Amino acid sequence: MIELRNVSLRYGAREILKNVSLTIEDKKVKAILGPSGVGKSTIIKLMLGLIKPTSGQVLVDDVDITHFSEVELFPIRQKMGIVFQGNALFDSMTITENMSFFLRENLNLPEEEIEARVKEQMKFAGLEGFENNLPDSLSGGMRKRVAIGRALIFHPTMILFDEPTAGLDPVSSKKILDLIKRLQSEIGLGAVIVTHILQDVFAVADSVAVLYQGKIIFNDAPQKLYDSTHSFITSFLSNPED
Amino acid sequence: MWKLAQAYSASLEEKVKEIAFSMQDFLFFSLRAFRALGASKRYWRDVLDQAYICGTESLPILMVSALSIGSLIVIEVGHQLAEFGAKTMTGRSVALSVVREISPLVAGIMLAARVGARNSSELGAMQISEQIDALRAFGTDPIAKLVVPRLVASFLMFVPLIALCDIVGLISGAYLAEWDLHLDRGIYWNSVVDILRPMDWLVGFSKPPVFAIGISLISCYTGFSTTGGTAGVGKSTIKGIVYSSAFVLVMNFYLSKVILDFMRG
Repeated sequence: MIELRNVSLRYGAREILKNVSLTIEDKKVKAILGPSGVGKSTIIKLMLGLIKPTSGQVLVDDVDITHFSEVELFPIRQKMGIVFQGNALFDSMTITENMSFFLRENLNLPEEEIEARVKEQMKFAGLEGFENNLPDSLSGGMRKRVAIGRALIFHPTMILFDEPTAGLDPVSSKKILDLIKRLQSEIGLGAVIVTHILQDVFAVADSVAVLYQGKIIFNDAPQKLYDSTHSFITSFLSNPED
Repeated sequence: MWKLAQAYSASLEEKVKEIAFSMQDFLFFSLRAFRALGASKRYWRDVLDQAYICGTESLPILMVSALSIGSLIVIEVGHQLAEFGAKTMTGRSVALSVVREISPLVAGIMLAARVGARNSSELGAMQISEQIDALRAFGTDPIAKLVVPRLVASFLMFVPLIALCDIVGLISGAYLAEWDLHLDRGIYWNSVVDILRPMDWLVGFSKPPVFAIGISLISCYTGFSTTGGTAGVGKSTIKGIVYSSAFVLVMNFYLSKVILDFMRG
């Protein structure tokens, strides 16, 4: 379980997050919805300890990680996989190397175990046959699946997605959303999905938090969005493309 | 007018604060890099790769620069000496200028441009594509993995590179002195050997390790602090080259001044 307690974040004079509190339960898919540039991706980075809040606490499985060092954060980060918006794959490495890189870096596993884990993720992501391709030679959707495979390589309990379908065509988007659903149904993973696309929320999320002007203005089941009277939400629902 | 002055003063204050924060950030970044130096054992393959990139791949441009260094000194100084009937002292002038000053300076600036641009742009591109965040998110220290190999490789390669520049500079001087001043090569080399003392080599070879550390840290830092998309990568590349080159120019002067003053008592 991941919990943000009264988290605020400020960059100079700019206040990104104002007293945000949020709980992400295990085995549930939580969407964080909001317009671009509102600080949604920042929330994911706070959960991983990649940035520190100005005030408030970040808890993972009831452990306060707010002031953890990089070394202390490593076992926490192993519990969470992350899929970055631009995938953040290493251009000079093949797909297999991208997936196995962090296993070789951080876990002292025998080579057979590494190969088995990579093979498992290649199969899950439907990437068999592309083992020796470089990321540049793949389509956007396939690169996203490589990033998902890499995020699963440590066998995490929670996976964090930053705009998983942004920039993808409808067919690739559907494939990615199906994959996210399978993560929950087949592996029992929890997920956080940061998105500005309303359809993604309804497709995969158990609950949704809406972030607007640095504050959470809604936190409930996606269907309840239609009951909200908040002007931003009603406007977002009527013009989801804006 | 008063309001304009106030606005100017406020913006100046902001700029000074920004510079102070950047300096502090750079200091912490450098300390983290030095603390992570032990990682060079773990990333020895990356050290070798970087040594190839900053060493072998830099050789052609450095050799071209070194050829012109020796030749230019002969053209400028040799002819002046010849006017006073002292062209036999050409070797001395070339030797002192090349070994102590010009060769480390020119090579340092070329390396600042080549190695600094590469580090800043490569790491800047990794920063904006979130690859550096990915390293941290999956438990790898990006400074140990990306900065330490570059720092160690430069430290190891800059001394032999500048030594090669010295040799090529002296040889090119010998050939040009013979061709242009009709100076016997034996006389040229005798004066070179006569004039060079250990202090001169010390001044010359104290510079490459300092340049290596400065260029690597400055260019890696500008890469790591890249923001603002592809335009940001361009800006950080320019910063990497300009700040590294300025560092080389300033340190070249101070190292010469301090060591020579110290040795002369």
